[in-house]
Amino acid sequence: MDELEVLKKDWNKQDQRFRKLSYGEIYKMILKKSSSIVKWIFIISLLEFVFWFVISFLLKGTSVSRKVEALEMDHILIPLSVVSYIILIYFFYLFYKNYRNISATDNAKSLMENILKTRRTVKYYVIFNLVALVIGTVIGTFYALRHSPEFTEKMAIATSQDDTFKIYAGTVIAIVIALAITILFLLVFYYLIYGLLLKRLNKNYRELKKLEV
Amino acid sequence: MKKDLEHSFVELLERHQNIIHKVCRLYTNHYDAHNDLFQEITIQLWKAYPKFRGDSKFSTWMYRVGLNTAITLYRKSKRQISTQDFDGVEFKIKAEHYDDTEEQQLKQLYTAIHQLNDIEKALVFLYLEDRDYKEISETLGISQVNARVKMNRVKTKLKTLLNS
Repeated sequence: MDELEVLKKDWNKQDQRFRKLSYGEIYKMILKKSSSIVKWIFIISLLEFVFWFVISFLLKGTSVSRKVEALEMDHILIPLSVVSYIILIYFFYLFYKNYRNISATDNAKSLMENILKTRRTVKYYVIFNLVALVIGTVIGTFYALRHSPEFTEKMAIATSQDDTFKIYAGTVIAIVIALAITILFLLVFYYLIYGLLLKRLNKNYRELKKLEV
Repeated sequence: MKKDLEHSFVELLERHQNIIHKVCRLYTNHYDAHNDLFQEITIQLWKAYPKFRGDSKFSTWMYRVGLNTAITLYRKSKRQISTQDFDGVEFKIKAEHYDDTEEQQLKQLYTAIHQLNDIEKALVFLYLEDRDYKEISETLGISQVNARVKMNRVKTKLKTLLNS
């Protein structure tokens, strides 16, 4: 006899073995908060939006922003800020739309796809911020170097000693290392958070996809 | 209005609670984990209830939400210890109804099922609940042919697990 048929016989007999929950106990349960992964993804994603948004505000009024102001970059900074806010709003709209589409009543595959889609939107937003960080640093450095009296002085000395290449190479290497460390730190952080949170979902999604091959 | 909704939901769930217990039975192997998953499924069902139109049976609707919670939404409880405690306790209770051989066989079957992956467990669950392949494929989002093929593979896997 098929093993599952043996189990099927027992399966429907087991009802009386479960502890029956009363009306009151079930009622108490529906008042409790969910701790599903969707809720956690929503919270973490919101924190990410807030994090990048707050960073731009925190920089205002600091010595860094005063230095940036001194560089007279408004003709670049203002259009860039406008574009980045529009992109932020667009990302947030996408994120919210995807989040609303997540429904526990969908079939298992669609549910997983919708969760992964929401997660992907946030991932693109993070990539956008990282790219903006790199571009911002490159433009900022270029302007800072052109306006820095110290650097101009150094360059004058370097030119007289034929050391221009060394100075440029040193500056570029320092920036690349600083950016690499920042990006690596953020990537490890994201990998840990989402990697752990979505490990099981990804595994199950792969399993369902495998069935289609 | 909200009170009426709460009342109708809790009443329906009280009547059909065994479906949730059975999902928990396959996806957890510890009493605390069983209760945690039961609670999360109940919350998910309640959240989805306002959209329940009644065009499908309440039980069918519960299968979907219950399995989705177990497979996708539920964050496994830290308290889920990989022991066979649960099986042991439960089988002691029903020992008087079954002879030893059958009890032993069932115990081995449940242990083998706990070793299946989440999707395989879902297939086994729906099979044990006597759902047809149309419903199985709709619940999981795969084709009927693939559901049938996978079910046969699960049966073979179970045989291998039982013989190992």
